[in-house]
Amino acid sequence: MRSLIRVLIWFVIAILGALALGTIALHRGEQINAMWLVVAAFCAYALGYRFYSKFISSKVLALDAQRATPAERLDNGRDFLPTNKWVVFGHHFAAIAGPGPLVGPVLAAQFGYLPGTLWILIGAVFGGCVQDFVILLFSVRRDGKSLTEMAREEIGIVGGFVAYAAVISIIVILLGVASLIVVNALKASPWGVFTIAMTIPIALLMGLYLRRIRPGKVLEVSALGFVLVMLAIWGGQWVSQNPAVAPWFTLSASALAVVIIIYGFAASALPVWLLLAPRDYLSTFVKLGTIALLAMGIIALRPTLHMPPLTRFTDGSGPIFAGSIFPFAFITIACGAISGFHSLISSGTTPKLIRREPETRMVGYGAMIAESMVAVMAMIAACVLQPGTYFAINSPAGIVGRAPEAAAATIRGWGFPVTAIEMHTLAQAVGEQTLFNRTGGAPAFAVGMAHIFSSSLGGQAVMAIWYHFAIMFEALFILTVLDAGTRVGRFMLQDALGHVWRPLGRTSWYPSILATSALIVAAWGSFLWQGVKDPLGGINSLWPLFGISNQLLATVALCVATTIIIKMRKACYSLITLVPLAWLVAVTFTASWQKMFDSNPRIGFLAHARQLASSAAGSEVSRLIFNDRLDAAVTGVLVFLVALILLESAFLWMSVLSGRMQVRVKEAPFVPTRFAAEEQG
Amino acid sequence: MSSPQRGLRPAAAAEPCSAGRTWASAPTWFVGATRLLLSVLREIFDEAAYSRFLARHEMSSCPRAYAAFMREQEVSKARRPRCC
Repeated sequence: MRSLIRVLIWFVIAILGALALGTIALHRGEQINAMWLVVAAFCAYALGYRFYSKFISSKVLALDAQRATPAERLDNGRDFLPTNKWVVFGHHFAAIAGPGPLVGPVLAAQFGYLPGTLWILIGAVFGGCVQDFVILLFSVRRDGKSLTEMAREEIGIVGGFVAYAAVISIIVILLGVASLIVVNALKASPWGVFTIAMTIPIALLMGLYLRRIRPGKVLEVSALGFVLVMLAIWGGQWVSQNPAVAPWFTLSASALAVVIIIYGFAASALPVWLLLAPRDYLSTFVKLGTIALLAMGIIALRPTLHMPPLTRFTDGSGPIFAGSIFPFAFITIACGAISGFHSLISSGTTPKLIRREPETRMVGYGAMIAESMVAVMAMIAACVLQPGTYFAINSPAGIVGRAPEAAAATIRGWGFPVTAIEMHTLAQAVGEQTLFNRTGGAPAFAVGMAHIFSSSLGGQAVMAIWYHFAIMFEALFILTVLDAGTRVGRFMLQDALGHVWRPLGRTSWYPSILATSALIVAAWGSFLWQGVKDPLGGINSLWPLFGISNQLLATVALCVATTIIIKMRKACYSLITLVPLAWLVAVTFTASWQKMFDSNPRIGFLAHARQLASSAAGSEVSRLIFNDRLDAAVTGVLVFLVALILLESAFLWMSVLSGRMQVRVKEAPFVPTRFAAEEQG
Repeated sequence: MSSPQRGLRPAAAAEPCSAGRTWASAPTWFVGATRLLLSVLREIFDEAAYSRFLARHEMSSCPRAYAAFMREQEVSKARRPRCC
């Protein structure tokens, strides 16, 4: 009887999911409620988790509850530590959830809500969740080894080198793009700059409180810091309206870029932990709170989506980024569907905390579902805006023009009604001078979030507070990613250079710290500068580059996973990673080819360089041409490296499958877990 | 298990909740869920790691102990990638 009820419940979930998906896919001409997206997502994730992840865990990976994990065998109370599965789940989710799942869907909304939503759901259930799950399990079975170590051991030296190069490239590109998002969100915004500037004294206060007054009480001090940040947001309104003070905090994009580059270098090279550690805690606190708040807001308020399911820009002529749905929707949304970066977390801290092998399913597959849900919420936040407003915020000046009237007229010409007066009123409501040309996704997300909340909590009167709360959250979090990423990149570079000259590998040797910090900051800083000076807003060229590199890293992770599954003599099940791998190869290689060689100057880097060369001369133009060629070269090198690992993997698979090569997986030896006996006893 | 829940106070069940009610009168699932949420937050915010550090070094919490903990954390934390 009980099993019949279970079957019935899953049947109802399947029907409900099909109904919701049918509604969001087939509804034309009428606006739909955001809850249809939420229901479709919930049902897709529930079915994926219950059936697909169960299939993977029992048939493919054969999770063994009797096998001791490295957390148990190597327990040192520090890195390796058997931890409650829900605690690991929370820890893992906090590590994988960043600005990516919030920004990518907002940008991809230019195609309408349908392509991005479908990709988020299908990509997560069959790609991202699977990648995170299998890489986590394989790392657990290898004493918590990293992706690059597994690539070297299971595929070969080329695999290891490519994984290393892909990781460091994606870190550099990610930091360049992330910092550009902050610049675009804060430029000419005294309120936003003031709030972010205030997080420095707040973090220092938190640091002093933690060290001197209540050592180790991080949750308490983070809550205190949060209250102070809210006060700073409130105070920012006064700053922005005060003609004497506002100019101090009104910075141009170039000035902000210089400040951020200096900040990144200082955070990596100087011992500023009194500032960075508390701010890291504060940003995590705000991030988790904001995600929870947004989820509650959407469910409680059930907003209507004003964006159509498909826009005219499915043809590739989009103002935010050029290119058709295939392949660009699939690289624009990486985090939230499938993100290679997650494989670094799944083979980093998390495998060293897993208590029992079967818990990898909930942590790996489950946490990615939660991240994907965040992406769905971001899509909703973007699509509750009137399309005209959305395009006015996100379109660069190079496409719609700088003058508000001209920009509004261009957008109206696309069929999305908007006026300069409406945009001016909206800008005033959120406490900004203008909302035109605010590319990068963050301002549109912030306006969407403010729109959702202001319809009930505080009304229009507090819309500006909500907007700046969202901007503060994104900027604060991105700055934390920036300083953490710069340090990770610096350590990776030091590890590599240490093989060339030993002193360079010493992480405490100051000349090495300064040199490697400068190299990493110069690398991402050049991308940032390029974006700031780009007349098309930078996002048009840099976000696809970031998406390509992130998905190429996912390709490397899926190559490693497929290789291990084939070596486990389970080739028939290798389709679970081989299918997403084939899809990603198709997507990333097509996108890379188009970004390098497409004849449309808005898509192809080289075509754009040629257009610039034929139109005008001068040092500024020469620099833009150089940037285009550099972007094309970076894309080409990344694709070449990933093609190498694909070839090496394919050769290995053929050798194993044809019986020419006898291989065995390099797992840690089986040791029975003591937890099983404890649970039975 | 060297659990991150170690730092939770065992007397939590007898603490006043609000308006004279105690945790003991709250539903079991609610108490369990609250404790779990606190454990997750303590782990994310390194409070549990600090408790383990103190237990490992047989120290009590003080500015010097926290400074030592931060130094120990510095290297491992700095190498931890943060996702996009």
